[in-house]
Amino acid sequence: MRRADLVAGVLLLALAGVYLQQSLGIERGFASDRLGPAFFPQLLGATLAVLAGALVVRAVLKRSDPTPLPPARVGLLWAVVGLLVGYAVVMPYVGFLLATPPLLAAVTVALGLRQPLLVVAPALGITLVLYAVFGRLLGVLFPRGPLGGW
Amino acid sequence: MLERFALGAQVAFHPTALLMTLVGVAWGIVGGALPGISGSIAMALLLPLTFGMDPAVALMMLAGVYVGAMYGGSITAILISTPGTPGAAATVVDGYELHRRGQSGKALGVSLVTGTIGGVVGVFILVGMAVPLSKIALAFGPPEYFALGVFGLALISSFVGRDLVKGLVSALLGLILATIGIDPFAGTPRFAFGNVDLLSGVAAPAGMIGLFAVSEILHQIAEGGDWERIRGRYSTQLPSLREIWSLRVATLIGIVFGTIEGLLPGGGGAIASFIAYNEAKRWSKRPEEFGRGSLEGVAAPETANNVVTATALIPLLTFGIPGSNSAAILLTAMMLHGVQPGPALFDRTPHIVYGLFVGLLVANVMMLVLGYLALRPSIAIVNVRRPLLLSGILGLVLVGAYSINNRMFEVWIVLVTGLVGYAMRRYGYNVLAMVLGLVLGFMVEANLRRSLLISLGDPWVFFTRPISAVLLALALATFVSPILRRVREERRAAHAEGVARPAAG
Repeated sequence: MRRADLVAGVLLLALAGVYLQQSLGIERGFASDRLGPAFFPQLLGATLAVLAGALVVRAVLKRSDPTPLPPARVGLLWAVVGLLVGYAVVMPYVGFLLATPPLLAAVTVALGLRQPLLVVAPALGITLVLYAVFGRLLGVLFPRGPLGGW
Repeated sequence: MLERFALGAQVAFHPTALLMTLVGVAWGIVGGALPGISGSIAMALLLPLTFGMDPAVALMMLAGVYVGAMYGGSITAILISTPGTPGAAATVVDGYELHRRGQSGKALGVSLVTGTIGGVVGVFILVGMAVPLSKIALAFGPPEYFALGVFGLALISSFVGRDLVKGLVSALLGLILATIGIDPFAGTPRFAFGNVDLLSGVAAPAGMIGLFAVSEILHQIAEGGDWERIRGRYSTQLPSLREIWSLRVATLIGIVFGTIEGLLPGGGGAIASFIAYNEAKRWSKRPEEFGRGSLEGVAAPETANNVVTATALIPLLTFGIPGSNSAAILLTAMMLHGVQPGPALFDRTPHIVYGLFVGLLVANVMMLVLGYLALRPSIAIVNVRRPLLLSGILGLVLVGAYSINNRMFEVWIVLVTGLVGYAMRRYGYNVLAMVLGLVLGFMVEANLRRSLLISLGDPWVFFTRPISAVLLALALATFVSPILRRVREERRAAHAEGVARPAAG
């Protein structure tokens, strides 16, 4: 956890820095109040910087929680995240109905279910149910893709 | 008064109204139970359906979703440790613990019954106190709203556990996220980086789906233990009258804080459940059971969030102030139907107001019956093979996020906040603190600035006004007392160690 705290502290310091730097560029606009639109963000940014500094100092002085992290299937996690990101990129072009079953099937397989029927049938079924409920019943306008008016 | 109720009953017991309320409650339970679909999203998704309806029926249906979602939210809170609605977040602690100990049926039964009690009592509080209490709300100015927001944020110190620094960092991340978009005051863009989508802000529902649901799914993917089917049969266990009586203190506390939260526009059920949980623990005869599967720990927040479904309507109906996302959706529905909230609403269109009052009572009874019948299916959902369940939930989350605004932007928000939420979970930060920051950020900032505008820059305005001063004092006490307790415990531990050491050396 110590190394993670150090990394997080440094990242948060950087975030606070960027945030504060960006807050300098906020225009006052028509604000007639004394604090203006930049005050609250700057207060937050400064506080975050102080707390992030505390995280770094704690990690360096070895005063943070030394408990080791629980094991995680990092590869699997990134595989699923990759699938989701790919879906979000592709779906607007391919359309909801064509993009969703492969995503669901791929996630199911990645998570360890291998029987073809148990992978394919629910992927199609869930997609159709989601489409029926959200697309048809609730009128959500999904990207259609090459299937057109379907 | 009585004839107005007769009029309301006439409206609420009309077959169409009954059917729509039933559909609303059922959808609310399902939507609330499905992770990623909170009560407000379930309501929002149903909103287009209500366009063609009579305004009274439309409001009853949406209120039914709100009511049903509060119970539905506790189903997932208890069974998969994911609050289906923010209001059920506090239920996770003991509800999930009970589930892990094989008492899922009992936890659900207590949630259902105390929730119904809360909902019904809430309606009576709504009817009985709407007018007199709204006069107090009339005295609420920006300083009081600011103080209320600060009080909500101060609660963070009581639930983040040992690492206060990480808890505060979490809250700050939420507050910072809330500053993205158009400035609430001056209308100038902030932190939008020229991006049109960022201009409209990071929608709280999308953030919540990501931080709660997606982070939980990612957590289960990366660290979830076994992927076996949950074995054994669960049955619904409605609590006996004696058990309900033994939960009376927790239920009463839930009613009190649900009422207060409903009256004071704020976090929409989540804060009330947490305060109710903490207070129930403090007043309990067995506080040591909290966190280890206490039924009181389920009863208090579940009563509170169901009370809020009724009492949140007080500021909404009397002043048109939405106290939560759900209330904001109800307000949207009212405006769509040309119904103007305010005192005139009660006088000119009593059939809408009193139809809604009676409709809420009906919805709570429906929740009790439907909830009882839906318990087994809900448990069956948990027993679906995890890979299928997780991919199904992911599909639903993606569709739900997309449907918020019919665009991909919320899908991205959900994915990013999901990853951030998972990392926060893993490295000891607090997702809930972040969500509170996200929800309360706007309220705190806007009212801070509004207050100083009114007081001509004098910061004493927060302390010279009694309600604001009391709220701020409460906030300070709430923030400091858990820290003091922790310091005292550590000093005692260090002292014990110091005593032990010379003997060892």
